Amino acid sequence: MSERGRARSRSERWVPALGGLLALLMVAAVAEIVLDGALGHSALIPKSPEIAGWLQGIGERLGYRVFLIALLVMTGAYAGLLVLAGHTQAAISKRGAVILIAALQLIVFAGPILISTDVFSYIAYARMGVEHGLNPYLHGPVAIQGDPVFQYVGHDWLHVATAYGPLYTLLSYPLAPLGVVGALWAMKLEALLASGGTLALVWRCARARELDPVLAILIVGANPLYVIYGLGGAHNDLIMMFAMMVAVSLTLVGKVTPRREAAAGAVIVAGALVKATVAVLLPFMVLSRRRGAAIVGALAAMLVAAIIGYGAFGLQGINVVAALNRDAAFVSSDSFATEIAHLLGKPGVFPVDHDLLKAALVLIGLYLAWRTWRGYDWVAASGWLLLAISVTSTWLLAWYILWPLPLAVVSRDRRLLAATLLVQALFIVHQLAPLFAPVQ
Amino acid sequence: MSPPQASPPPTSAGREPSSRLPDWLQPRDRESAGSGRRRLVETTLLVLVGLVLTVATVYDLSREVKVNHRLIADEHTWRLYTGHDYHDLSIDQELLGAGTDHEVVCGNTRPAAPKATTQLCLVIWGPVIDGRRTVHGGWYLAPHVEDVRADRYGCFGEAPAGACPS
Repeated sequence: MSERGRARSRSERWVPALGGLLALLMVAAVAEIVLDGALGHSALIPKSPEIAGWLQGIGERLGYRVFLIALLVMTGAYAGLLVLAGHTQAAISKRGAVILIAALQLIVFAGPILISTDVFSYIAYARMGVEHGLNPYLHGPVAIQGDPVFQYVGHDWLHVATAYGPLYTLLSYPLAPLGVVGALWAMKLEALLASGGTLALVWRCARARELDPVLAILIVGANPLYVIYGLGGAHNDLIMMFAMMVAVSLTLVGKVTPRREAAAGAVIVAGALVKATVAVLLPFMVLSRRRGAAIVGALAAMLVAAIIGYGAFGLQGINVVAALNRDAAFVSSDSFATEIAHLLGKPGVFPVDHDLLKAALVLIGLYLAWRTWRGYDWVAASGWLLLAISVTSTWLLAWYILWPLPLAVVSRDRRLLAATLLVQALFIVHQLAPLFAPVQ
Repeated sequence: MSPPQASPPPTSAGREPSSRLPDWLQPRDRESAGSGRRRLVETTLLVLVGLVLTVATVYDLSREVKVNHRLIADEHTWRLYTGHDYHDLSIDQELLGAGTDHEVVCGNTRPAAPKATTQLCLVIWGPVIDGRRTVHGGWYLAPHVEDVRADRYGCFGEAPAGACPS
């Protein structure tokens, strides 16, 4: 062996050890957040029934400083692991990647709800329908003030009727009789299973496209925003993303028949009836395949959903556009639109900015449609539009920038993955103010 | 994973239902190779957008750090002014104009859960000097109420005109 070969061999011996160290750092960072969070009494842990009491006594109260340091450590280790795994398969084995992802996700599953109160809104809407006979598309949780879940719903959402699709609302109904704690665990389990399903499909799609499936599931399943914000909050975005990947895998894996295309169209509609955003995949899939099967499948699913949605919730249950329009008017301090407004010396986003952003989004959509018509990868086009939606949204939350990630890792355009990870990194950077100036 | 421009020329999928379509309508498995110019333009635009987002994010982070320093000074000022070392204070940054540095800081007048006793609200603005800012006025609030005009009383100092009901 030449001197150069020996040097390379020596350095490659360090790669698995370094990969293992980075994986351990990620697990330690997540464990720190969960163990400290289990104590409650933190601005980062929403008021919640005590579901992680058995983890108390190990950590200390979770403050912004510790949380942000742990988030930065996890993000740095994640980036390092991806770079290593991208260069050599010796960085982490298939088994190592699966163990790492399972460890991260199970730790979060076992812990308290992190960051967001959304899951309590999901439970409140379910209990409104099942326990109180109220239509969650007509009333906000304030209508059930005596219900045990009411005290946990976020203040901003007390008067807001559900914006989620009728399929999700109906899926959540069987959880309502379980009580708040039972429903909370069921929601957490739903999110975990959806995540597992998404990762399995990412693996299959990556293999079908001759990409490294280990790297693909690492990018999604060990992603800090995915684990801490997405899974940590038991967000229903994970269920939407699972439906999205079912549709994508139906058109990428194995022999694509009209029946599978019809099923893919129907699954996209089903996903949109959980959370409407995933509907953006449908036009790109249709433009790419140019066969009626997907349209027929989608129309059939829409018809069934309209009948069930109308039957269960009336007109409001199927008026997805109204809910989207309402939410599009919200403004969050983390949105890029707000940041750019501040950069331009404005106090915030004005109504005209909403219109400009919507116009930009339409133009991006039309351009991507034209590219898809000419043969551009429809999976990448869908991912770009989901990324554009999150970047142009005035109401940006961490779990919104997860949407394009599973598509980015199986798309033919690597720029989409780079752009998605950059946007996520910027989101994390924007969270860091309390690290430099902690307000009590 | 190959970029679109590096892919082979357009091909018809040639599967059953779409084979009835005219050639120009046939689905394409890959985009035409092209000159690579479109990809260059797209990538340049993406880099520019990425730069704008990065600059905006870093600018906003530094702005938030400055605001947080100001809020820390406001809380410190409230504690010094009232002599109460309470930490459950609420700060309203919009009541006296969003985008200004005029803030209203409210806190209990005796130990209790947040807003469970009479609250004292201070109107604060000006530069941070020695970790605190100038109190220009204020008002009291009854227990268990939000800071709305109808529930204010005992306005003092330079509290904005009309802050308290006459």
